Amino acid sequence: MTKYVVKRLLLMIPTLVGVAVLVFFLMRVVPGDVVELRFAGESSFASKENLDKERARLGLDKPLWKQFVDWMGGIARLDFGVSMWTGAPIIEEIRLRFALSLQLAIMSTLIAVLLAIPLGVLAALKQDTWVDYAVRIFSIAGLATPSFWLGIVFILMLLIVFKWLPPMVYTPFWVNPVQNLAQLIWPALAVGYRYSAVAMRMTRSAMLEVLREDYIRTARAKGLWEKLILSRHALKNAMLPVLTVIALEFAFLMGGLVVTEQVFNLNGLGLLFVESVAHRDYTLTQALVLLVAAVFIFVNFLVELAYAWIDPRIKFR
Amino acid sequence: MRHSLASRWLSLVVLASLSCALVGWLAARSFAQDKPRSGGELIFVVPSEPPSYDAHREETFGVIHPLAPHYNTLLRTDPFDRTGTKPVGDLAESWTVSKDGRTYTFKIRKGVKFHDGSELTAKDVKASYDKIVFPPQGVASDRQGQYTNVEAVQALDPNTVVFRLKFPQGSFLSSVASPWNWIYKADILAKDPRWYETHVMGTGPFTFVEHVKGSHWVGKKNPNYWDKGKPYLDGYRAIFVKDSAAQVAAVRGDRAHIQFRGFSPAERDSLVQALGPKITVQESPWDCVLLVALNHEKKPFDDKRVRRALTLALDRYQGSQALSKIAIVKEVAGVVVPGTPFATPPAELEKLAGYSRDIAKSRAEAKRLLKEAGVPDGFSFTFKNRGIPMPYEPVGVWLIDQWRQIGVNVRQEVVEAAAYYGQVLRPGNYEAAMDFQCGYIVEPDLDVYKFQSKEISPANYSRYTDKTLDDLFTKQSRAQDAEERKKFIRDFEKRLLDDEAHYLYTLQWHRIIPHSARVKGWTITPSHYLNNQLDTVWLTQ
Repeated sequence: MTKYVVKRLLLMIPTLVGVAVLVFFLMRVVPGDVVELRFAGESSFASKENLDKERARLGLDKPLWKQFVDWMGGIARLDFGVSMWTGAPIIEEIRLRFALSLQLAIMSTLIAVLLAIPLGVLAALKQDTWVDYAVRIFSIAGLATPSFWLGIVFILMLLIVFKWLPPMVYTPFWVNPVQNLAQLIWPALAVGYRYSAVAMRMTRSAMLEVLREDYIRTARAKGLWEKLILSRHALKNAMLPVLTVIALEFAFLMGGLVVTEQVFNLNGLGLLFVESVAHRDYTLTQALVLLVAAVFIFVNFLVELAYAWIDPRIKFR
Repeated sequence: MRHSLASRWLSLVVLASLSCALVGWLAARSFAQDKPRSGGELIFVVPSEPPSYDAHREETFGVIHPLAPHYNTLLRTDPFDRTGTKPVGDLAESWTVSKDGRTYTFKIRKGVKFHDGSELTAKDVKASYDKIVFPPQGVASDRQGQYTNVEAVQALDPNTVVFRLKFPQGSFLSSVASPWNWIYKADILAKDPRWYETHVMGTGPFTFVEHVKGSHWVGKKNPNYWDKGKPYLDGYRAIFVKDSAAQVAAVRGDRAHIQFRGFSPAERDSLVQALGPKITVQESPWDCVLLVALNHEKKPFDDKRVRRALTLALDRYQGSQALSKIAIVKEVAGVVVPGTPFATPPAELEKLAGYSRDIAKSRAEAKRLLKEAGVPDGFSFTFKNRGIPMPYEPVGVWLIDQWRQIGVNVRQEVVEAAAYYGQVLRPGNYEAAMDFQCGYIVEPDLDVYKFQSKEISPANYSRYTDKTLDDLFTKQSRAQDAEERKKFIRDFEKRLLDDEAHYLYTLQWHRIIPHSARVKGWTITPSHYLNNQLDTVWLTQ
């Protein structure tokens, strides 16, 4: 097991290097650069000399290979450099947004799991009854409703009915839990609902499949208590695909909630991502892509480890 | 009977007294409401964010809105003047201009202190202007080009600073009132000229509290502010909100009092409908305009008859009526913001090509010109537009429809906003393209600078050389007499928009600021870069 874990951890390095190469060169293909955008744009007075001076300051005048080597050298020392747009250290830019994005991802996942697993199991147990149909309609509606749209509906409802708007500035949970939840519960509900729909459907179909397995029939034949059969034998085995879906969705939430963050004015990683691309902030975009890739890889790794815990038949070599 | 008369008389007296008391109370109440009140925190939304804290090097209003309250400038525009054209003293107490118009002497206020307690002197003003006009190696100054006329800045004594110009310049006082020219501390600049990119240290009405990137900016009242009694607010909080729907929701939900850039007509209407008397709306022509750059290096746009035909096709008055309902454009204008001192009066404007109210006649003339230039009926070209919905999209659609009226078919190609200047306008990769002009002070020098020959102005995207126009620019800029300057501006405008039709003006932007009725002491101007010091702003109960 330890050997497997070490091997998987080491395998992450070439994957991340591949991502780094790809994002570095892709960003250079995109037209426009940060200096053009920041200083030339609409200005009547931007001179070529000033723009060149600024490009040199940011190292953009160096050959591409040299820029790449410098950047990779920095990463090897865990130095991601500074944002080309703001001049602030990239670690600082990400740290500011990471807490909010992580909390929102955790809250959305909790809401999704609390909705998806009980309802998915219920739908499977009551297959083809009104309960099943109701759960299926609820989940299909969730899949069909973009979370940002639901967010807009929440905001309008709060504004029109309650004449109230969630706070627009993030307060950490440990500073003021009420203020924190007043801001984040709404986006978490909007995102969690859509997220739960995916997991709910997966739970239902996995449970239906497991409930037809021989070992469930055997357990029932042995006269085992039904609740025990469901929780210990059926649900545990049905959890493998559900866990994968939940984990991938969680990783996606760490940088993919762009529109929802816009609607609720959340200072998260999704908005930072979009802005860094719009500003052609190469260093920040590269770091964010690497971060999201690392989160995906790490979450996948954790899921694989969880497989062994859930299903003892799975052995790692 | 007597009793009845007496009681009637008494009733009348009581009634009259009560009426007087009521009127007096109402007047006193209204006076109290108009009298600035101290206290409270102003919360405003900023749709952009400062890339750095140094206004000398940045371009976005995202720097001005949250940071301007920390600083003073030498002059400023009168915060109560809706035209935004009257320079008044800020750090300068008074000033004189030499007879030859080349030397400006400013007397600096005494007793002005930086937020660290040190005293401001002429040395600080000189150091700040030296950084703007003659930036040291490795320091970017975005508006250096505006001050090429400045020969030297001298601090004669702690309270006197002198600007020596190479030649007289009618707009110099306005230039000194630029909202970007914050006065920094000389000692700090001497140690590190880039210190202000990451730090705040001014003399302004508010001191810096915190900036959380991507979230908000906070300032609090400067208790030692030189203008005694000001500021009225205890502090302010700028919240960075990019999404326009979220900005509207913030004002509607009372999470913010105001957004100083501007809202669209639909957003204004929704706020007025939702909040009724709790909202106040201020509107003004905006010193921003969308222009059509016609690339003179591509045929047939090198032919002025074709360019004139394209401007004659535009029914600007009908466009104003239709577009002002859905977009942030409204006024039909020439090169200067309407309603400001150098603007062309409407009757005179109507004499220019494309500004006549007789659109049928204009379009007939356009068709004749196209025929004369040998342009076939159904001539088509590609119009490149910037990928920003408001107001580029509606104005682009309007233009294409107008040109179709004279038999010209236009295909619109929308280019991503971030790549637009670098990939389209600067390399000249277009036949016709949407261009943009926005002034940070309402001043003809700034508004028409870009229309000089391409050898002078890198932002001349119609890519022409016109020495006559350059000469007219210089004449208007150097004219000391306002009437004489007006005449040169008219001549410049006629040549640019009519005789040569180098550029096509569409419609002037229209600035709409719906804000909480609690906000007082703030006056809209034609520029969203102006009037953001907040020293005169106060909140009612």
